[in-house]
Amino acid sequence: MALKGGKSQSEIPGLSRALCARLLGDLEKAKRPVLHAIKCSLDNAIYNHKVGYLTPGGKKVATELNVSSVKKMSRAVFMLEVLLRNIDTGAVNTKRELYYISKGEVKGTPLLKPLDFTDQSESDDTVDFICEILECYREEVNCYANDRGGQTYSQQLVVEETMADGTKATIDLSRLGTSPFQPKNRPQNLKLASRKKIDFCLIVESEGTANTLVANGFTKRHNCILLGSQGVPSNAVRGWVKLIQEQIKCPSYFFGDLDAYTMQNIYRTLKAGSAASLIRNQDYSAPDVKFLGVLPEDIKKYDLFDYPVKENDAQEVRALKKADDALKNDPFFQDKKNKGLADILRWLMKNKRRCEQQAYFSVNPKDPIMPEKIIIDKIKKGEFI
Amino acid sequence: MSKKSISSSSTAEYFSKNLQQVGFSSQTKAVLTTLKEAVDNALDATEDHGMLPEVKVEIERLGPGTIKNSERIRVMVEDNGPGIDQDDLPKVFGEYLASSKFGRGRCTRGQQGIGISAATTWAQLTCAQGARVVSKTKAQRKAVSALIEVDIKNNKGVMKQRETIDWDRPHGTRVEFMFDGRIQVNGDAGLLNYLLGTSLVNPHLTLHYKLPDQEVVTIERVSKDVPVIPDATEPHPHTMKLGEFIAHSHLFGKTKTSGWLKKGFSRISDAVLDEITKKKESGVTKTMLDKSVEQLADGDFTKLFSAIQIAELKAPSTNSVLSTGEESLAKSIQRLGKVDFFSVVSRKPTICDFKPVQVEVAIARLEDKNVESESSAQILRFANRVPLQFDKASCAIYQAITSVNWRSYGLAQSKDSPPLGPYIFAVSVVSPFIKFKNASKETIDASDELVEEIRRALMQAGQKLSRYIRAENKAADLEEKIRYIEQFGPILVEGLARITKAKEDQKKRARDGLMKLLGRDANAAEKEVSEANEKLAAHKAKADKMDAARGDEQEAEE
Repeated sequence: MALKGGKSQSEIPGLSRALCARLLGDLEKAKRPVLHAIKCSLDNAIYNHKVGYLTPGGKKVATELNVSSVKKMSRAVFMLEVLLRNIDTGAVNTKRELYYISKGEVKGTPLLKPLDFTDQSESDDTVDFICEILECYREEVNCYANDRGGQTYSQQLVVEETMADGTKATIDLSRLGTSPFQPKNRPQNLKLASRKKIDFCLIVESEGTANTLVANGFTKRHNCILLGSQGVPSNAVRGWVKLIQEQIKCPSYFFGDLDAYTMQNIYRTLKAGSAASLIRNQDYSAPDVKFLGVLPEDIKKYDLFDYPVKENDAQEVRALKKADDALKNDPFFQDKKNKGLADILRWLMKNKRRCEQQAYFSVNPKDPIMPEKIIIDKIKKGEFI
Repeated sequence: MSKKSISSSSTAEYFSKNLQQVGFSSQTKAVLTTLKEAVDNALDATEDHGMLPEVKVEIERLGPGTIKNSERIRVMVEDNGPGIDQDDLPKVFGEYLASSKFGRGRCTRGQQGIGISAATTWAQLTCAQGARVVSKTKAQRKAVSALIEVDIKNNKGVMKQRETIDWDRPHGTRVEFMFDGRIQVNGDAGLLNYLLGTSLVNPHLTLHYKLPDQEVVTIERVSKDVPVIPDATEPHPHTMKLGEFIAHSHLFGKTKTSGWLKKGFSRISDAVLDEITKKKESGVTKTMLDKSVEQLADGDFTKLFSAIQIAELKAPSTNSVLSTGEESLAKSIQRLGKVDFFSVVSRKPTICDFKPVQVEVAIARLEDKNVESESSAQILRFANRVPLQFDKASCAIYQAITSVNWRSYGLAQSKDSPPLGPYIFAVSVVSPFIKFKNASKETIDASDELVEEIRRALMQAGQKLSRYIRAENKAADLEEKIRYIEQFGPILVEGLARITKAKEDQKKRARDGLMKLLGRDANAAEKEVSEANEKLAAHKAKADKMDAARGDEQEAEE
């Protein structure tokens, strides 16, 4: 995995020490040290369809040392020390664990008491701040998120995992029975191979529907990889789909609800990353994933059951409001190449209706594999965006 | 159609069936309204005679009442006023609309003569006896004691058990009610709020009060000036309806019409009358104005009235409003508790909705920090110096308070809510024509113009207040900055030194450098504090100077 400018993870300790030396040097000269961090927000996001994901623009947030920022800087230096120790020993932690480690450090050293984090959000912010300064991912400072979502089924896929101690494990997904393969937050340690040519990869928004498709024999009848994203894709899912795209080189399709939330928060994040994670979108987005549906035209074509957005559906009402903003300010939806996706957002704003992925089960209630037939039909006919 | 006889009922009958309209809608309200009506009367009576009021209040529980879940309550109010002539006692306490103040257009507390008779009715209905009154005028050697009841059928006061007694007061009135109700001491609608509020806007009042299970409390007067209630000005024709206009003419039978219009109304001058007669379409002629009022035909009144309504007249005079004044308010607000600092604003009288009105605001921060900083500030509302304690949300005063952005003056506040913290907000609206939302006078109608006028007063007070808060915040800020430097400086340098494996001398230099940097910040903060304090001192000096000047003026007048 490469840092911006082609640096590797092993360079982080060196970079960190150089940064600290600069701060110390400034202080010796009674000069105010300044830390520059990448601004991770939509107004600093650039989208180029040739690159395929949101990248950071030139905006930086400068933090100059003064009475107001001395606490923030002290906390950052304190947390950096903990993270460097982890890199040194190869230990990994979640953000919550880091919060408790910090608590433990403060408890043992009374001098550090003022640094104490009152809740986890404060220590999380400190970890994020360090990543923004060093322009690295939290995974690169050995801070991992929970491996959520992405349970994968395939009769052809073989995964080779390099363990922390350098040993290798091979997982043949066809031998797992009904158990899925759980992708890791560190997909970079995985190498993929296929026993037979894999025709496509299908990412299903609902974990439950993904399981149903598999139980009904989807993966037996088709040479494919099928996984559930479980809502907004975690880093593990985003990195995993990117890995499949790069190493298996098969087309990928996303199958989810037709609504503003799915389009902006789930599909866009999977395909191009998010504004909050500008630094790591490079490794955590799969630009080639197509939107298979539900498409607005599917409603008519398959006579799908759809319904108006309810006023008390806070998440969806908010997403619809956000859609207007996205069309005006989100470089992803503004890009000409994504006009088809932006059109779906416009359709959703205009009609204020939504159609769930499970509506395919209403097409022929007596045929349990009807959704599978529609999905395959759509792939064959190229009915996706 | 069936034949039903149509009968008329007396005013007393009407009110006895509708006591909820005049403040007796619940048992707790009954106690407060009775107290309020008796105190209002006491204050109006003393002020009317240029006396400094000294009022004694006693409220006690006597046992269970006859109404379910009620208590038998005794409310006693005694004043040092002129006393009431014994022939007038039944009228004052037992007859509705028998008032000396009805429709006079003055800033008195009572206006219609309903309240105290309603209290007598309530006592009569729940306890089968009216008001026990003792009264003595200066001319009397002995006091008269009697029980006054309302003859509900005929709206007449009836005096019973009359006797003359020895009373060790030179003059005054003491009224005692026994009735069913429930006592609420604390809270917005509590008795305490009423008593403190009353003393706030009446700096010249000495109040002794005794609440159940509490010792006697005395709040001494802080001003020896009896407010002189300005006389009413003549009515402004734009505030009248045609019927009132015609009725008004009856007082001026033989007077020339032009004379009636000029003398009987405010803001009508020769110039105005000239303008009216010049407009032919008005139908008003010079000859008409030269006729005596008696000679006018019905149609003439309509023509005159319509022409005056269209004419451009000056707004009504503001001479009839009465204010407490910033100086007295400032002294008075310090009687409410230990006050950290305060700000008072007395706006000039102005016209709102075509009626003269004056708004005064006093904001104080209490030293008592027991009041949680998250709890809302205490709001005291007054209309013609009477506390308003119910239905605050629709009141003009409450709406004005919540519409101000108090955060810009350094106070905490959630959106569209009153500010938070240990503050007292007292807002007084004085006008000879206050528009209440109901007969029990609990809420001032929130017209846009009035809300805006109150808002302006509040913002002025807020600006004054913010000087104190700013100085305080700057000082707190400086304290925190110094604390931050002491706490985080060493941690930062130690952390950096550990990561870079820096040598001891390097560490020392960095520590010195850091202290120099942060010290500069602290110096800047210190400068800001002294600047804020200087500004505050200058403001205080200016205020003192103005007070002294006012004092000199008063002395010169005397």
